[in-house]
Amino acid sequence: MNVLRLVKKAKRGNKEALLQLIMDQRDDYYRLAYTYMGNQHDAMDAIEEMIVRLYENIHQLQKDTSFYSWSKTILVNSCRTLLRKRNKVVLMDELDHALVKEQHNDGNPFLQREQQIDIYQILSTLNEQQAEAIKLKYLRDLDYQSIAEITNVSVGTVKSRIFQGMKKLQSQFGGFQND
Amino acid sequence: MTNIDKRLQKEQNHIENMQAPADFEDRVRKALDSTNTRKRRLPHKGFAIAVSLVLFMFIGYHFNTFAFYGKQILGLDEVMSGTLKDLNEAGEGQSIEKSVNLGNNTKLTIHGLMADENRMIVYYSLFNPNGIEDEYHNLFNPQKLTGFLTNAMFSSSQGLLNEDGTELKGMMDFEPPSPFSKELTLHYYQYSEHNEMRKGEITFPYNPAKAMQTEIKQSIKQTVKVDKGKIKFDSLVASPTLTVVKGKVNVDNFDRVNLALHGIELVANGESIPIMGSGNTTSLFGGREFEVRFDALPEHVDTLSIVVKEFVGYEKINQSIPLDSTETTIGNHDLLIKNVSASQEQVEVRIATEEDVMLDDVSIESSEGKVALETTTNQVDSKQKDGRIMKERTLIFKTQTKPETIHIGGMHYMKQYNKSIEVPVD
Repeated sequence: MNVLRLVKKAKRGNKEALLQLIMDQRDDYYRLAYTYMGNQHDAMDAIEEMIVRLYENIHQLQKDTSFYSWSKTILVNSCRTLLRKRNKVVLMDELDHALVKEQHNDGNPFLQREQQIDIYQILSTLNEQQAEAIKLKYLRDLDYQSIAEITNVSVGTVKSRIFQGMKKLQSQFGGFQND
Repeated sequence: MTNIDKRLQKEQNHIENMQAPADFEDRVRKALDSTNTRKRRLPHKGFAIAVSLVLFMFIGYHFNTFAFYGKQILGLDEVMSGTLKDLNEAGEGQSIEKSVNLGNNTKLTIHGLMADENRMIVYYSLFNPNGIEDEYHNLFNPQKLTGFLTNAMFSSSQGLLNEDGTELKGMMDFEPPSPFSKELTLHYYQYSEHNEMRKGEITFPYNPAKAMQTEIKQSIKQTVKVDKGKIKFDSLVASPTLTVVKGKVNVDNFDRVNLALHGIELVANGESIPIMGSGNTTSLFGGREFEVRFDALPEHVDTLSIVVKEFVGYEKINQSIPLDSTETTIGNHDLLIKNVSASQEQVEVRIATEEDVMLDDVSIESSEGKVALETTTNQVDSKQKDGRIMKERTLIFKTQTKPETIHIGGMHYMKQYNKSIEVPVD
């Protein structure tokens, strides 16, 4: 069934149609959420929040053809909301503790895990907007236009955030060669 | 490549290889199910109140008629056939079941109705335990239906008497009622013993919302030329019970042939739709307005055309025929001269032709000159020796001289035109 028909159905309140639309691109949604949240648990929380928001607001969607970009913007907003909540509640050592626990459970992919922590820690030194733009550009491989749409700013702003962010990262961590 | 780039690159590969977890669908579905089913919000509170008020009034007002939804009209299988039966089985009828006593122990029951843009059918029965056979004409003559903005004249009825002659079941056809009527009154009259006419009426509910939707409504505006004028087709309205083609006919010899309009065919998907009837009235603006009624169209119509297969035509003959011959041919049509007699007052020539032939500009010729046709009498359909049924009539001429020849100037007849008009269907 094509996307437009599903969108029309979903707009009339059909839950199955909405679910179908999401399932068709579930990996994309998951990866985007993961990029923001950094772990599966939080990524899925964000996705749950997204689908509720989608269902409640889909009748406001003006162009049926832009369902996917619209829904991804909503996902990004859900991620931001969750991140803000989490930052308020979770203490840093608690987080570390959780990460350590996770490493032990994982056993083997220790290295990968460490690198991962590293890159998210590195990114956390930037301000929120710069980190977000860099994640979307480098981790999700999105073009400037898409990033601009999702984060609701102009392409120029996106470019400048990425440039400033990368410049900051290079100056702080660029000199250190891993291998 | 810097360290940062590498790390970003690695993490990108990592994410790119990720797949949504196995419980993705479960979790999303649960989240979705936990949301309340969305109610559409109306743009304004005032608007919402207005809409609910209107709905409340409308539903309240029509509550009785809603009760008829989905009901079939029962017990009238014998008088329903084809299209109407199918529609009734699909629940398109409205059940009424209301009775009135017509006097003389005869009970009139209105069982139900079926309406669309082309007509209104009322199913009824007359019941008298003592038998109604000869009486129903005296007791019940439908006249019209009235209601709010409705004044629908009776057009026809048909019925079936049961074996012991106690019950007549039938259907009456009326013009379609107005969609604003929600109650209809059937007016009828009856004759008393002394031939006095008395009026009566019965009122029953009507639900215009259950009137069936018109399927095709197409303006045509095309003209077909025939020998003595033209036929202009204006519109076609196909409703579930009937298809009506309307237009104007401006043909000088239109009424010279019986049922000329029945030479018009309606062809849907290559198949001819059975004709149900036709009618015409003089128009205010010259010519005649006509309508031809056909059965309902099939469910899916891909092509639709109106074919003027035959229509009244005219052929110039200008032929003198000796009156001593018995059989001759004029313009591909047989003409039989059955008898010629002369009295003191007039000359009578009895002739026979095919049903659709009408002679024009007829005169008899004798040594004394031409005498034009005075009148035609005694027209009957009669079976000829060869088994054909032909139209026989006597032509009367005011002269005493026995003529030698009969001169025929021309004739009106049903001519094959086979002209087709495509009706667009969307």
